[in-house]
Amino acid sequence: MSFIGIAVFCVLVGDLEISTLDPWQEMGRMALGAVSPDFFTTENLGRAFLNTLAFAIIGVALGSALGFALSMVFHNPGVRFFCAFIRAIHELFWGLIFLQAFGLTPLTGVLALAIPYAGIFAKVYSEILDESDQAHLKAAPEGTGFISFFLFVRIPDVWAHIKTYTLYRLECGLRSSTVLGFIGLPTIGFHLESAFKQGNYEEVAALLYLFFALIASMRWWMRPKLVPFYVATALFVLPVGADISMVNVVRFLTEDIVPGPLRWVESYNVDTFYIFGQWLRVVVVEQALPGIVNTVVLTMIALVGAGGLTLIFFPLVSAKFFGRWPRKAGHMFLVIMRSTPEYIMAYVFLQLWGPSMLPAIVALSLHNGAIIGHLIGHHADQLPARADAPKGLNLYAYDVLPRIYRQFLAFLFYRWEVIMRETAILGILGIHTLGFYVDSAFVDIRFDRALVLIVITALLNISVDKISRTVRTRLRLSRSPDIV
Amino acid sequence: MKKILSFLFVFLALTSVAHAETFVFTAIPDEDESRLRSRFDKVATYLSQELGVEVKYIPVKSYGAAVTAFLNNQVQLAWFGGLSGVRARLRVPGSEAIAQGFEDQAFVTYFIANSSTGLKEGKDFPGKIQDKTFTFGSKGSTSGRLMPEFYIREHFKKSPEDVFKRVGFSGDHSKTIQLVQSGAYQVGALNFKVWENEIKAGKVDPSKVSIIWKTPPYPDYQWSIRGDVNTIFGAGFKDKVTRSLLEMKDPDLLASFPRRSFIPARNSDYQPIVDVGKKVGLLD
Amino acid sequence: MALFDIQDASVQYNGHAVLNGVSLSIRQGEHVALVGQSGAGKTTLLNLLYEQHKKEIALLPQDLGLVQTLSVFHNIYIARLNRHPAWYNVLNLAHPMQREVAPIREIARRLRLEDKLFTPVGELSGGQRQRTAVGRAIHQGSSILLGDEPVSAVDEKQARVILDCIYEGYETVVMALHDVTLALAYSDRIIGIKDGRIVLDQPSSGMEPSDLDDLYHH
Repeated sequence: MSFIGIAVFCVLVGDLEISTLDPWQEMGRMALGAVSPDFFTTENLGRAFLNTLAFAIIGVALGSALGFALSMVFHNPGVRFFCAFIRAIHELFWGLIFLQAFGLTPLTGVLALAIPYAGIFAKVYSEILDESDQAHLKAAPEGTGFISFFLFVRIPDVWAHIKTYTLYRLECGLRSSTVLGFIGLPTIGFHLESAFKQGNYEEVAALLYLFFALIASMRWWMRPKLVPFYVATALFVLPVGADISMVNVVRFLTEDIVPGPLRWVESYNVDTFYIFGQWLRVVVVEQALPGIVNTVVLTMIALVGAGGLTLIFFPLVSAKFFGRWPRKAGHMFLVIMRSTPEYIMAYVFLQLWGPSMLPAIVALSLHNGAIIGHLIGHHADQLPARADAPKGLNLYAYDVLPRIYRQFLAFLFYRWEVIMRETAILGILGIHTLGFYVDSAFVDIRFDRALVLIVITALLNISVDKISRTVRTRLRLSRSPDIV
Repeated sequence: MKKILSFLFVFLALTSVAHAETFVFTAIPDEDESRLRSRFDKVATYLSQELGVEVKYIPVKSYGAAVTAFLNNQVQLAWFGGLSGVRARLRVPGSEAIAQGFEDQAFVTYFIANSSTGLKEGKDFPGKIQDKTFTFGSKGSTSGRLMPEFYIREHFKKSPEDVFKRVGFSGDHSKTIQLVQSGAYQVGALNFKVWENEIKAGKVDPSKVSIIWKTPPYPDYQWSIRGDVNTIFGAGFKDKVTRSLLEMKDPDLLASFPRRSFIPARNSDYQPIVDVGKKVGLLD
Repeated sequence: MALFDIQDASVQYNGHAVLNGVSLSIRQGEHVALVGQSGAGKTTLLNLLYEQHKKEIALLPQDLGLVQTLSVFHNIYIARLNRHPAWYNVLNLAHPMQREVAPIREIARRLRLEDKLFTPVGELSGGQRQRTAVGRAIHQGSSILLGDEPVSAVDEKQARVILDCIYEGYETVVMALHDVTLALAYSDRIIGIKDGRIVLDQPSSGMEPSDLDDLYHH
């Protein structure tokens, strides 16, 4: 309840004005584009598609391998913090960082995906292992080796779960890989962003439709047995490791990210530290602080918005409320809502309502509402039904809603940190979140500033994650939705 | 560990040898980003014929990425804006501005406004734009960010955030026109070449958006080349590149930029940009 | 010399005493049955015993400790994981080898599980699972077995088959059994537990089931 209070407060301080005078001309062109997709204007479309897949497959495979290794030692607080830190940084920021060190090479894209994903995988794998039936841990005799114990005792019962989760992450990986195109990697996002900027909505529609088809068809082509084949093919498509220059890596690490005031002078003296203090003040007071305020405000409104939409969305996919065909339509709607990159959605709304937080809020609420709505709808279907249960709105209000409510809160709080991370990408669109200032620092070739801001962003995310965990524990909502 | 390192070393040496023969260039994505590759591949073919080495174009997504590619020696030659060129050359010792477009000697930024504001074109800086909503182009653009911000600060003695009700970055010049035309922003500033091109292409509705002010001229776009090209591609290579650019006469090729022709340029031509950049705080 | 030796042990669980000043010693070769109501402290006592000789003990816990997705064969094979190198275990996970299958098939035959040898444990009935766990304990071939109600899910006839197998293979057996008749039939020493205390400790010979009635009534 207090969260809704905070959100109301945020709405009051947030900037939600609608300022567009004549959005209809542009909206009309978008609508026209949506019904007349043009699949033939994009140059190198096939290649971009292969790249999108290859980045996702190698990135997720590497991330899951690293994450698995980390999950073994996840109970170490240092490892736990390390994982929280690497997953608190959005893949776009990782991409921007690696772009400086490795340039536009396959390694940049693969690491940008693999590193934050490793942090996520480590956490979820470790949760899956912890939540599994602990009873059989004494089954093996004393003195059983680590590997044998692991393969025979710990893994088998959670294997299916790990497999499902990893495949789900691959879907996220495809979206992330697309989004990396926005900063220049040669995936379909590259062309999607260009086409969008140019107002070539026929091309935008074509690219989006192909992207939806790719995700929707995943369950047919993504067979666990084919994974080695896919990884090998992906490595062939993207020769990771080629074109790396150590000189650039060293320069990035030893020069670029060193705070300017320490870099410009020959020797350090009192003045250096004074100038350094000034520099830090500019970064922290003029950029980080307003960035934090806007990020938090945007996140809180979007969180409550996502919650509200979830409660509207979930009946659409639940057998308790709708028949087969309406449900199929509802399902499709939610798939589209959750796979459309938030950036694109926000851009469309920006045309409609002009510049303010509103487009970002609506985009984030729709995207996350669709994800949680899908999960809750599924959850609602698993509730045993009484034969004499009421129908329609009464069923919703008196039977289903009270029963899914705790689960709903658990999912929502779990998404909190994710929503905050996603505000990064909307910053690049011009809403003054921390992401906006990070992007500016990269544009200005001020990597020293970028690094400070990224670390601040990560710490903010970690704090929110911590609060969310405390709230969930207090509400006794310990199970995270990823492993339901 | 040693073994791995030496392997890595050999590997890196091999890859750098393999790529030493290709001369790579890029261009900042300041307008019409579609079909970038087909447009600039033609330029690559031309340069390749003139220089006698393999020439490749790589597309980048942002001004920053173009500078980074230059910094990382992923490209040896780049078509930069005024500000991005200065940024790149400050970071790469020995690099030089070798050619600029004919129009770039006296480049201009147009301030445009939505007709609902009632603002009309005038000779002096339009002080009435105060408290309106305003959009720049890309954050790293000279004509869409640096110069307009400079004149705004000079007139109001305040940062744009304090002058306007809301400040945005459209991302590129074409988008600026679109956003001001739709009323999403009331006022914007952009590269005059893009405005003229879009007018010609009929993409602008004069009843909804019009020019309200033109800045004094300043130097802008230029070709910059890394200082170490002669050691990699042979003595006199830099001069050869310069000559090829200056002799580019095919209107089809020049239309990619779009410029009438290229003329010689020097680093010192861009001192005004350095000064303005420092004043505005976009250069350290 | 006593194999197990516990002096005045007390165990609390959430501030609630589960064992209260228990002293006990068990010699090698004894067959001991722990009897008493559920919640009396039998499982806790077994855990104390387990801590004393982890390495030589085969454990048959109440929850069986089976890996649901692995087959009966693999669950029994787990008993000897510590005797083989990791690569060999991995090989057997992927493709069971004949020299491992043969002895385990024999155990399964005695427990009447032969036709389920390669069925995942998760698909078996309660009794079949219990027998699989017993198979694992037998296969481990240590000298001591600690069992916690290993025949609770089977009828008396099957229970006798299972217990025969166990007592045949182990020199020292300590087992919690709520079925008093079976306890008297299979053990030579009865320890009765009530409210966390040992209230009875005597040889089983000559005892009648009714002698133990006190343990089950207040």
